[in-house]
Order: sequence, then structure tokens, then C-alpha cells
Amino acid sequence: MREVAIIGAGLVPFGKYPKKTLADIAWPAVKQAIQDSGIKKNEIGAAYCGTALGGMMAGQRILKIVGLTGLPIINIENACSSSSTAFREAWIAVAAGIYDAALVIGVEKLTKFGGGTLPLEKEDWEVAHGLVMPALYAMRARRYMHEYGLTEDQLAMVSVKARKHGGLNPDAQFRDPVTIEQVKQARPVADPMTLFHCCPSGDGAAAVVICSAEKARQYTTSPVRVLGSEINSGNYMTGYRDMTSPEITVRGAKQLYEEAGIGPEDVDLAEVHDAFAIAELLYYEALGFCARGDAAKLLEDGETSLGGRIPVNPSGGLLAKGHPIGATGVAQIVEIVRQLRGQCGDRQVEGAKVGLTHCTGGGISGFDHGVCSIHLFAR
Amino acid sequence: MSEAARELHEALNLAGDAVERDKAGNATIIASECADCQKRIFPPTDVCPECLSENLTRLPLSRRGTLYSWSVVHAAPKGWSLPFVAAYVDLPEGVRVFAHMVDVDPADLAMDMVVEVCMATLGTDETGATVESYSFVPVKEGDA
Repeated sequence: MREVAIIGAGLVPFGKYPKKTLADIAWPAVKQAIQDSGIKKNEIGAAYCGTALGGMMAGQRILKIVGLTGLPIINIENACSSSSTAFREAWIAVAAGIYDAALVIGVEKLTKFGGGTLPLEKEDWEVAHGLVMPALYAMRARRYMHEYGLTEDQLAMVSVKARKHGGLNPDAQFRDPVTIEQVKQARPVADPMTLFHCCPSGDGAAAVVICSAEKARQYTTSPVRVLGSEINSGNYMTGYRDMTSPEITVRGAKQLYEEAGIGPEDVDLAEVHDAFAIAELLYYEALGFCARGDAAKLLEDGETSLGGRIPVNPSGGLLAKGHPIGATGVAQIVEIVRQLRGQCGDRQVEGAKVGLTHCTGGGISGFDHGVCSIHLFAR
Repeated sequence: MSEAARELHEALNLAGDAVERDKAGNATIIASECADCQKRIFPPTDVCPECLSENLTRLPLSRRGTLYSWSVVHAAPKGWSLPFVAAYVDLPEGVRVFAHMVDVDPADLAMDMVVEVCMATLGTDETGATVESYSFVPVKEGDA
């Protein structure tokens, strides 16, 4: 396997584009990524498109608009990890030498569902009995509060931090700050969580171009190396399970750090899957940024805010930047690329050298999450 | 379907044969137990995920368990009676069940409290038919 680097990144601001087609939402991100990379279209060997709910052949629908056809186009569905899975598949193919360069797209249009909770698979037992994603995370939150003494104010602080970071990101869906009181007083969704503890529904797209690290310097002076790529499915457990520790993220992070030969202390910033406020706290612990039970303290001490020891979700994360399901994985990678290149302006993590992305996907009974993909990058 | 025709239909039982009722209407949840490796699986299945045996038996679960966590849900797809209490209940056989809690003031819920299974109406399906399934209620002090 050879080393792989990201040479181009593109993203359209997350928001609501009900009048645009999925393909029209996505192509500007693709064009931006290709132009940013300096690569010629005909040098791209394959394209991988991740979307959870975008329908058949999303990749072909997008790429015909920009005239990138005739090459293998692989469409991938893996819930919220659809495009991080697409990235990993592209990475495998380039690392294995099958292609010298590949394009990865993440895209979603959730406005077509008209709002509300994410539509889940009705064949699933718990979904058929009324389980919705906010309720699942709310039950994790309540148990964590019980076992570790997390307070409602501390839980709200996750959203306050996310909005503060999102305010510095022109691509974020939510850019207005909120206070702890505003979060707690917002409309209840699944208690203890209110609307402001939940990521918004929306549309968006992101794209990156990758190539062999050896060839990357031909195209760009600022390639971002892929240090490691990990993906797992959850362990199916029909018995008791500890919902205060996400087993799939704990397992994946351990594997990834071993593979990359670095530890959590070497990570300068992370984009994690904060679909709901409690999730970010669970992931501080699962990714090794603090010990079990210490997440609230890490947050309160400002260590995960911009300027802290390990800024988490400088983009605003899913809570503020937005979470168009299939777009999220690649969008996280775009943020890390821009941070490592020093292109992030007011939200720049100074001197960032190593960045981590973490994406999960759930909504199926018996799993902590159905999928989790984690990546490490370095400049 | 007309209102009259609708009334002729029994409530749709979401749990199918994963719940049994005695003559008095008391509900019991059924899991699968592998006759070869003794793994217990809920909801019931046709193949053991541990050893791939298809030699599974129906295992009636205890009617009482403990509340692992819950949430009062205010946002859900059309059809569910809102708000409802979503819960995970741990049963002594080592099985965790997702269910609604019914007939309870959320203020009275507590971690690890003892709860008991019942059948309850939970909402309606796309056709407007009533849906029901196993649910849980808190066990009041003094209940046998």
C-alpha cells in the first residue's frame, strides 16, 4: 500500500436548498475540489459518491453536469458515514495502486422530506416501535447524567460552543450564538434534549480529490497526507450494553491510533459526529481526549474550544455547521484539509499539524452504531 | 377505509408473535433461545447469530424488569401519540427491550426502577388503524 494525499477540497455552504436538485447542490463542490487540486479531469481514475437518501446513481447524476463520465463511478450508502465510507474506498483503491487519483463526493438533500426527524428504516424492530434518533441519544444522555453527574447546564454548553465556532464559519448553517438558558428553554424534542441540542436538517455537499502522495507535489504545494483510515460496523448486542461508552468508536479509535503509530495526545484538532450534544461528550472519552467521566470538565475548561488543547469541531460541527447526512463525512475532511493548510481565518487552529475526523451512522436496533469511520490526516 | 370498516379491524399488534397474551389479557414478551448454544436474542429470530443454528426455542421473558433509561419524546413521525415515553428495559434473562412506558407521569420515573409489561395503544398506522404493542408501567409499591 502506498501513501495517499488529499490535493483538492470543495464544499458548498450547508443550508436549505429545496428548489435545487441533489445534483445541482453537489456540482459546485466537485468543481471547486477539482480546481483546487490542479488536476485535469481526465487524470481522475474513479469517483466515489456517498449519499444516504439521495436515490439511485447520485454520482452519475452529479458528474454528468461537470462532464466527468466514462470512468468508474461508485455510489455508496452507509447512513451518516456514507461519504466517509466513500472516502475510505477511494483511499484503498489509490493506496493499492488501482488508480493514481480519485474523486470523493458527499451529498444529501434532506429538505425533500419536509423537516422532522430523520426517516429511518421501518423494517427495523425498534424503529417500527417508534424509536427516533433524538430519543436514542436522549437515553444515552440520561444514563450518562445518572452515572457521571453531567448537569443540564454542561450538556447545553456543547451547543453553546458549537454555535460559537459556527459563527466563525461562513459555510455553517447556524451562525448565531446561543446561551445556556436559550438551549435549555428551546422547544423540547426528546428530553433532556431540546431543539438546540440537535443538529439541524438541511442540504449540502462536499468533495475532495486524492492521489498517491508521490504524485501529489505535481499538483499542489500543500498536500494533506492520509495517516490512517478505519471503518467498523457495530457489534450486534441483544443483551445489556453500556450506552455511556460508544463501543464502536472506542474500538475504531484504538485500531486507528495503532495503525497510524500516534496517540490522541498527538492530535491537534478533531471533527467529530456531534449529531446531538451528548454525542460530542461521549466521543471526547472514546477518542482518548480525556478519561471516562471527564468529558464535561474538558469542555468546561475550554480545552475543546478554539484556543484550547484539542479544539473539537472548529467548523461548528454537525450542531452548527449542519448535518446533511451523506455530505458530512467528506465535509469533515474538507474542514481538516483547510485547517492543516491554515486557510480557516477566524476559526483557524494555530499550528495544526494533525487532524482527526470521526463519523458514525445509526438507527438500527442492537448496535451502539451501525457504522463508524475515523480518519487521521497530517500536513 | 370507512370509519365503520376501520372499527371492524382489530388493533394492529406491532410485536406480532413476539408477545403472547393470556386469557386475562396479561402480556408476556417472547425472545428466542438457541437450543444449541443457549444464546438469547430479542426480537425473536430464525437463526442464532452466535452459532448459526436454526434450532431456536421460544423463551417467555419475565414480566418485570428494570428501567435502564428513558426519554419523553416530542418529535416523531406522524401516527405516534405524542408525547410518549421511550425506554430501554432490562429483563432478568439478559435481554434489553425497547418499549414505550405508559400510564406514568414522567416526573415519577427513576433510573433502575422496577417496571412491568402490559399491552398499550401507541398510535395509528398510515391507514389510520390503531397500533398497539408491549409496553411497560411502573410497579407501584405494594403491588404483588
